[in-house]
Amino acid sequence: MIRRSTVLFLVLAAAIGFGLFKLTFEVQGLETELHRLNRAILAEDEAIHVLDAEWSYLNEPTRLEALAKRHLALRTANETRMRTLADLPGRGNDVVPVAKPGTPWPSGTDVQPALTKSRPKP
Amino acid sequence: MRLGGAAHGPQLAAQDARFEIDGSAKTALEVGRNRLCLAGALFAIAFLTIAARAADVMVISGSGTEHAASGAAALAFDPERADIRDRNGELLATSLNTASLYADPQMVRDPGDAARRLAQTLPDIDATELRARLQSDKRFVWIHRNLTPRQQYAVNRLGLPGLSFQRERRRVYTHGALAAHIVGFTGVDNHGLAGIERYFDEALAGHAEPLDLSLDIRVQYVVRDELSAAMRSFKAIGGIGVVMDAQSGEIIAMVSLPDFDPNHPGEAPADARFNRATLGIYEMGSTFKIFTTAAALDSGTATLKSGYDATNPIHIGRFTIEDYHAKRRWLSVPEIFMYSSNIGAAKMALDLGVTNHRAFLDSLGFMRPAPLELPEIGAPMAPHQWREVNTMTIAFGHGLAVSPIQVVAATAAMVNGGILNPPTLIRRSGLEGQRGARVISPQTSAEMRKLMRLVVEQGTGKNAEVKGYLVGGKTGTAEKNGVGGYKSKALLSSFIGTFPMTDPRYVVLVMLDEPKGTKESAGYATGGWVAAPAVSRIVQRIGPMLGVAPVDGDAPSVKKQLFVSTDPKAPRLATY
Repeated sequence: MIRRSTVLFLVLAAAIGFGLFKLTFEVQGLETELHRLNRAILAEDEAIHVLDAEWSYLNEPTRLEALAKRHLALRTANETRMRTLADLPGRGNDVVPVAKPGTPWPSGTDVQPALTKSRPKP
Repeated sequence: MRLGGAAHGPQLAAQDARFEIDGSAKTALEVGRNRLCLAGALFAIAFLTIAARAADVMVISGSGTEHAASGAAALAFDPERADIRDRNGELLATSLNTASLYADPQMVRDPGDAARRLAQTLPDIDATELRARLQSDKRFVWIHRNLTPRQQYAVNRLGLPGLSFQRERRRVYTHGALAAHIVGFTGVDNHGLAGIERYFDEALAGHAEPLDLSLDIRVQYVVRDELSAAMRSFKAIGGIGVVMDAQSGEIIAMVSLPDFDPNHPGEAPADARFNRATLGIYEMGSTFKIFTTAAALDSGTATLKSGYDATNPIHIGRFTIEDYHAKRRWLSVPEIFMYSSNIGAAKMALDLGVTNHRAFLDSLGFMRPAPLELPEIGAPMAPHQWREVNTMTIAFGHGLAVSPIQVVAATAAMVNGGILNPPTLIRRSGLEGQRGARVISPQTSAEMRKLMRLVVEQGTGKNAEVKGYLVGGKTGTAEKNGVGGYKSKALLSSFIGTFPMTDPRYVVLVMLDEPKGTKESAGYATGGWVAAPAVSRIVQRIGPMLGVAPVDGDAPSVKKQLFVSTDPKAPRLATY
């Protein structure tokens, strides 16, 4: 009886010892992984920070204006381009006539529809 | 112990043995055995408990890593110094990790080749000079401080032995000179030396949360663009441009020209680092008539229907007060304002009284430095003894020097219904709890809006008009106080405008230092000719940007709201 329980306990101890051994290795592995991930997060964070700065730098208004002048046929918006929602047709206030294609823009401005202009070659 | 005979056999012997170990020996054995069993049982229980827990950890709840992971604090990137952003979250100042390149000359195999290839990769490196340094006996020489990530990559690609990088922190101002005077700059040790960087030095160093300014970088750009264009065309030596939210006191844009690149502040001359908008104090000239007129209207010593005789110049002491746009007749209060009559303004202030006039200017904050979040704030210069002559000259903006930002804040109070809000560079989330002090009544404020609109419609500020935005304002042209009195050739020309006049949203100030008249301005260098057009162009560009709805100036309700009669009736008859 004693011998049988001894064998049982020995087997149990061996199993648990092996299990603990594996567990330790697993935890070590996870910790390495956590450390690696943390470092990766830091690196990404820093990269995002640098990219934020670069984005801001590239969005410098002077540069954007130069690029817009070169590549876009857009003009500075003026007050004739602003309408309220109530001015839109079908909103219960249809007093404002809707301009048909080809109608000149409101008088008093030198602004021509941008699309009629030939696009500058990039 | 007694041994039994052999004849009894083993059975007997066993019987004998059982029999023999009796008494005290047996009890001791029993006790020992019991204790052993108990101890064994206890150990078995402990062992089984541990085994059960181990099995639990290993097999049953082994997948609960999420819980464990949340306990492991993730390391966050610590910028050491908080970012500064504009009101839309656009980055203005940030701290970046940079790599500085150094070399251990003992490890560099071919200094000549290394120097040549580095000079090709990095700017501003002299190959021969670097070669000499790489051939020295030292173990450490700097090659280039603060490389960009791209440059670092390029150097790494060279694959030269003996080179290493030292990580450093560097404050970077992504928009360069655009907001230089406001954001300021830091020194090599990353401590703020000027502007917001200095004012909020401790807060910025201690927090990772970015600081959001009231500035709108797009508006700032427009103001700087138009101001520098005006400076170029009128050959001015300096310029100031300010845009302020008339309701909240938030500064949307503030430009002082010439300016500097905060990334390299040491290379800028002192004149460029000087913030004219806050540190500079100026005798503003006729824009001060806004405050003289408001004070007179608010106290009741003058009304929109009253007037003053501006036929002859006033001689007082050694001064002569004359009109620039002289009409040489009786002028109504609206006429005094729109033609910018010095004589009329001086008489209006005298009527108001020296004490009242001074107290009113004091309530607008003109007697103390502006309460703004910048270390560079100029203290106003007021006369020690406030006599009648001071009142008369201050009525049209001479004899009291204030900073332009104070004038903008006070003008906002004149048109927004009469509430003076301290100017601020920090974004406000709402108006609640931010209401300032009442300085004039809502009625007076409505009258001031009419008068300021009149200046642009018919008076000295016609060039500030923008279709759809109903600009109102006041021109100002001051002679600079030089050695030995005022210099009539050195002017300080300004226009302070606000739009739309029906419900002012923004106040815009443009001021040029020593502009020279050109053909386009018909030879004039006055505020109405050099500053008002710039205000007009700024309003035209920022109005749609800031979402200000255009107002139809010909609508009857608008006409009625802003109508003011310029015709003096009874008083003129009374004097003739």
